[in-house]
Amino acid sequence: MATSMAAALAASLPAPSAAPAPPTPTYEAIPASMSKVIDIEAEIPLTCVQLDGMVVTKLLKHAREAPSATAHGLLLGLDLDGTLEISNSFPLPHHAGDEDDRSSKSVARYQASMLRSLKEVQADDSVVGFYQATTLGAFLNQTLVDTQAIHQEKLRHGGIVIVHDISQTARGNASFRAFRLTSAFLNAHKTSNFSTSSLMAHSLTFSSILEEVPLKIRTNPLLSSFLGTLMEPDESLASLDGELGTGSAIPPSFGVLEFGTAGLTRNLEQIVEAVDNYRTEEGNLAYLSRQIARERLKADQFVTKRKEENAARVAQGLAPLPEEDVARLFKIPAEPSRLESLLLLGQIDAYGKSLAGTASTGLVKMYAAKAGSGA
Amino acid sequence: MPLGPSSSAVHVHLNPTAAAPNVPRTPTSVTVHPGALFSILDHYLRRTDTQDRVIGTLLGTRTETEVEVRSSFAVLHSETSEQVAVDMDYHRAMYELHHRVNPKEIIVGWYSTGSNLNTYSALIQNFYSEETAPNQAIHLAINTGVEEGEQAGVKAFVGSPVGVFPKPENCVFVPVPVELRFHDAERSGIDLLTKTATSLSSTSSQPVSDLEILEQAILTVQGMLDRVLTYIQAVLSGEKKGDPAIGRYLMDTLGASADDLEKGGFNSTLQDTLMISYLANLVRSQAEVSSRLALAAT
Repeated sequence: MATSMAAALAASLPAPSAAPAPPTPTYEAIPASMSKVIDIEAEIPLTCVQLDGMVVTKLLKHAREAPSATAHGLLLGLDLDGTLEISNSFPLPHHAGDEDDRSSKSVARYQASMLRSLKEVQADDSVVGFYQATTLGAFLNQTLVDTQAIHQEKLRHGGIVIVHDISQTARGNASFRAFRLTSAFLNAHKTSNFSTSSLMAHSLTFSSILEEVPLKIRTNPLLSSFLGTLMEPDESLASLDGELGTGSAIPPSFGVLEFGTAGLTRNLEQIVEAVDNYRTEEGNLAYLSRQIARERLKADQFVTKRKEENAARVAQGLAPLPEEDVARLFKIPAEPSRLESLLLLGQIDAYGKSLAGTASTGLVKMYAAKAGSGA
Repeated sequence: MPLGPSSSAVHVHLNPTAAAPNVPRTPTSVTVHPGALFSILDHYLRRTDTQDRVIGTLLGTRTETEVEVRSSFAVLHSETSEQVAVDMDYHRAMYELHHRVNPKEIIVGWYSTGSNLNTYSALIQNFYSEETAPNQAIHLAINTGVEEGEQAGVKAFVGSPVGVFPKPENCVFVPVPVELRFHDAERSGIDLLTKTATSLSSTSSQPVSDLEILEQAILTVQGMLDRVLTYIQAVLSGEKKGDPAIGRYLMDTLGASADDLEKGGFNSTLQDTLMISYLANLVRSQAEVSSRLALAAT
């Protein structure tokens, strides 16, 4: 397997003749042919993500079985010459709603013991990112962004997030996409300042929060050959008629040609819901900004009044009152974060995109059916 | 959907009433989820040089007669000519971890790669039977097909004691039919993998647009129609003897009518679809404008 190729290469080399003292770990020299592609310091930027076939099935299974559309887990793998090879994954326990301290601790414990166990059976044990299942393409939310922001600081190469769309998969197009946060968003996130001015400075819109990394699916040779065996026609059926029909463990499916529009209503509902949420959020923002404006006005009035007073006092020959205590007297609220509304807009856009996609394929299917009916 | 070459083995099932009445019935069929299967293959790839075969635990659900294998994990074990050892602590710890994420899945049996069943297999089977008691443990033997002359495939067995005095190292492995099963919603993922496996470089890039997939499906249907057409023409011209069964199937399949579409249904659906398309684009442009306005506001 390519992921462990570097390790295997290193292991197959003859051990250094002079055995060093036991406590110091032995680092074997990287062969010259590999020295360009193995970067210990993580200097080669990631250009591509490669997802192993096993991870694909694991993700599919977890995403479908999870109680709500919140299946998430960790991705394990290694990077080699700019390609991040994801060779394994495991699901994280689902916990409802509020994340108290104890549950997050137990998740951390779970994660650590899982990694230790996987290491014992020679599986990759370095976390390279996480995956998230989603419906109708709307994966942009606060949790995802926060988790990825933490990962991007901690993990080698910053880690990536793989988004798997359940509804699209059910429609016949298994969709996996890899993302990471853009540097503009990370800068804003570091200062956790998402006021209007900050957004303008980083020119952030919902489409510039995440950047997509090209993703490839790979099946290792063993898996390829096994799948090949599964797809071979069954002998008992092949004898029936060689030209018609192929009986194999994986019969062909034409789920994509399904003419139903069952998902459309749900999609429209989601859009309405997202727009409603957005409106509420905008209302909150407007309320807050009005309050800010009011407070600021009050403060300004106070300052002008104080100035007039001071002018009068100076005219009377008295010491002027201090003008600096405005900030103490009037608490002007900080400008509200626009992150939430930004993310909601992103969701609306994603729902819209998914709806447009359904409509366009629906149109093709309709004309195909009409042509088939001979009209 | 059968896995591997068909065998001539007779699937023998003991009459449950003959045994003690409280003993659950032996499973009569086993289904395997691709995820479990592929993990086993991955485990086999990552074995050490000294390991001849790898073993692990199968997790899944069971009904009275059917066992559904849904996932699997690797277990450490060592085999020498004198003894076999399975890391039970590891097995328990791993099961606990899996149980936290997926409480519905229980231990149903174990897997090993290669297709030789020996005394050690019987011992391990005995160990897993204790884990799954009172139900019987199943054993999946996965032939990875890397050894010459052997075909890749999966076989399932249940253990049955043998001899006058049953001993743990003696056991008859009774074959059970095994099938590959996955949910319809996961179907496209399997398609994606098979397509990847047949491509030259064993890789395929993502994301693929819906329309591309649709195009491929339509092209496949076209190819199938062409195949049927050549067959029918061969039958009509007398080159080939027609099979009445195939004729029946064709009649049933192609006889489906699209009357609904013709009676004005087409136009109204078309209008709906166009409306939705318009709406979707409207929503998207609104969202885009809104986000730009947020930047422009001072």
